[in-house]
Amino acid sequence: MTDFREEVCALLCEDAVRAEIAQSRRMPYGQESGLLDVHRRLGKLGWLAINWPERYGGSGATIVEKAIVTEEMIRHGVPENVHSLGVDIVGNAINLMGTDEQKERYLPGLARGETTANVLFSEPDVGSDLGSLGARAEPDGDGYRLTGRKIYNMKAQHSDFALCAARTSTGPVNYAGITLFLVPLHSLGTVIEPVWNLSEERFDLITLDGIRIGREDVLGEVDDGWQVLNRVLPFERTGLDHSAKAERTLAALREHAPPGCEERLDRLETRVRAARLLAWRCIANLHEGKPDEIHSATAKWYTSETAKEVSVAAVELLGPRALLDARDPDAIADGVFDAVFREAPGLTLAQGSSEIMLYFVATSKLGLPS
Amino acid sequence: MTTTIAEFFEGDLAPLVRRMADRPRGEGGDTDDDRRETRAMVWEGLVGLGALDGSDAVGLAELLGSVLYQGPLLDTLTARELFPDLGPAPVALAEGSCSDQDDTVTARCDFVGFAAEVEHFAVVGGARSALVRAGHPSITTRRHEETGRGELYRVDFDGTPVTAWAGPLDWAGAQVRQAAYLVGLAQAALDHAVDHAKTRRQFGRAIGANQALSFRLAEMSMRVDAARLLVHDPGTAAHAAATLAETADLARTVTTRTMQIHGAAGMRSDDDAQLYYRRAAAESVRLPQPRG
Ligand SMILES: Cc1cc2nc3c(=O)[nH]c(=O)nc-3n(C[C@H](O)[C@H](O)[C@H](O)COP(=O)(O)OP(=O)(O)OC[C@H]3O[C@@H](n4cnc5c(N)ncnc54)[C@H](O)[C@@H]3O)c2cc1C
Repeated sequence: MTDFREEVCALLCEDAVRAEIAQSRRMPYGQESGLLDVHRRLGKLGWLAINWPERYGGSGATIVEKAIVTEEMIRHGVPENVHSLGVDIVGNAINLMGTDEQKERYLPGLARGETTANVLFSEPDVGSDLGSLGARAEPDGDGYRLTGRKIYNMKAQHSDFALCAARTSTGPVNYAGITLFLVPLHSLGTVIEPVWNLSEERFDLITLDGIRIGREDVLGEVDDGWQVLNRVLPFERTGLDHSAKAERTLAALREHAPPGCEERLDRLETRVRAARLLAWRCIANLHEGKPDEIHSATAKWYTSETAKEVSVAAVELLGPRALLDARDPDAIADGVFDAVFREAPGLTLAQGSSEIMLYFVATSKLGLPS
Repeated sequence: MTTTIAEFFEGDLAPLVRRMADRPRGEGGDTDDDRRETRAMVWEGLVGLGALDGSDAVGLAELLGSVLYQGPLLDTLTARELFPDLGPAPVALAEGSCSDQDDTVTARCDFVGFAAEVEHFAVVGGARSALVRAGHPSITTRRHEETGRGELYRVDFDGTPVTAWAGPLDWAGAQVRQAAYLVGLAQAALDHAVDHAKTRRQFGRAIGANQALSFRLAEMSMRVDAARLLVHDPGTAAHAAATLAETADLARTVTTRTMQIHGAAGMRSDDDAQLYYRRAAAESVRLPQPRG
């Protein structure tokens, strides 16, 4: 296992790869990187989605090897959203719940690092309470017409298709009646508008104006999207991405912090180590085929809060130097502190906000009344 | 004076002022020139209303923080402590180890505010403080690319002639004013979070109906209240650096939580939550203060 980690690290440490990563963090304002050569390199080796079957571009390895690849990519600063959306969320959902046809169609491109996908769940009025979503898929012949507005999704400009949640029926229980669809992103009837934000990566507002989709584009069963989500969530919510990010920031902080900060850094490091242990406990659960929702919620909350704490501590300890953007000639550590500071608020919101994780642990683990 | 200035900032001017030094990043909107014009207009307005008189400077600083004012006023007030004869001209503090030979200054100074639009620099931080005229050919300036996306510059002085010397700067006054600015900023961010918690609905009710959020907002309100008493207390001058560190932490905490309460909407460039968050980062690390 260690050998495999070393092989991944060796590739990620190559000069050309490092140069590409550094370059991707210095794009002109308003532009952002999509899939990079490093993704395609990993894809060619069958490592990008290493746990998928070989015929779909993976290597038939386990979630443990996948976690090693993810962890090292983030530790080495490879921009992760384009990969996590395409492979870890959408591709993983297809791999777990898709039909053979869907797998043939979508997985190889994702595994090779040639295409990516985005996730259309949130809506202007629907965030934490996903059960109340308003996008609708109306039956139309042997398929559906999809109408709705989706926001705060990312990478539409680099994606060919999306995983979209829409309502197919209404009833007394909100969660029932939601269906997941695999939808083309650049078809007539789809309008994509950028929503500029604090981070380097824009959000998009996507309006779906009655776009036509087939019965074969349903992922899982009709009206059963909630089950699909529950099946996929433990893979998304391991916290490994956040713990790896916290490690990377802390390593840079140690290098640049002025004398006198050692105790504070040691305490942060202890938290970062605990974060990593929680993340790897989730990976072990998945490896054993026993996902544990409480472990997932714990890992998501602890790792994202820790990553955020480290990024705010960097500003406090380093002072103004931490604020220099990668584009400033005097930036330290390639501008990593500015980048993580601007990403930090999103960590405790996306993929289940901290409050929703706390609520879940309070009610499910501690048995407190809801 | 503070009341008149508060009135000046009310109404249509407020949103313009909040963004008057926020550089857009490839996303359209006002240009740098529009913002510079707003800043010039606000400077004139403030000077006209007596902002340089020095009375109730702490109250004024808090007010400036609450409207997210960006400009050379606080630096100018500090420079006038050293150089009382300065006219009503904007000054930037440039902090650097000033190797003062003859009557010139050679120093590299980072994070100097509004370097492109002040008339003087006060080079401070050494055994003596020097006043130099902006625009002298021996001075080079370069705007930083930084989180706050404001008007912070690297300024290099290379044998720049000194127009006046003064003793070392006693930071206390500047630190207390900056602390007051951060209290104002924290209060404004908190108000923004409270508004959002009252209006954003999830799970069939306002998100602020959940104690997880309402108690956090209440706690922040109490901390801001305490910090306000602190910055206005005459005894604070003796603890100026520690007070600044405390309010710096407060501003970062309040704005970080404001972001959380806003959800993804707070990250949008057109939402002020992210503006408070970035400004708190930039403003909380200004001036010498204990860290760690
Ligand atoms: C970086 C980033 C990337 C994202 N990527 C995607 C994507 O690819 N696709 C997509 O569909 N969406 C995406 N999102 C949106 C994300 O799913 C939402 O941010 C999330 O669901 C929370 O919704 P909201 O932001 O609207 O916050 P809201 O639901 O409005 O909540 C606001 C605040 O209130 C809290 N809150 C809400 N309800 C309660 C309660 N009952 N008790 C206590 N507190 C509560 C929340 O925790 C939060 O702090 C992304 C968001 C971010 C920040």
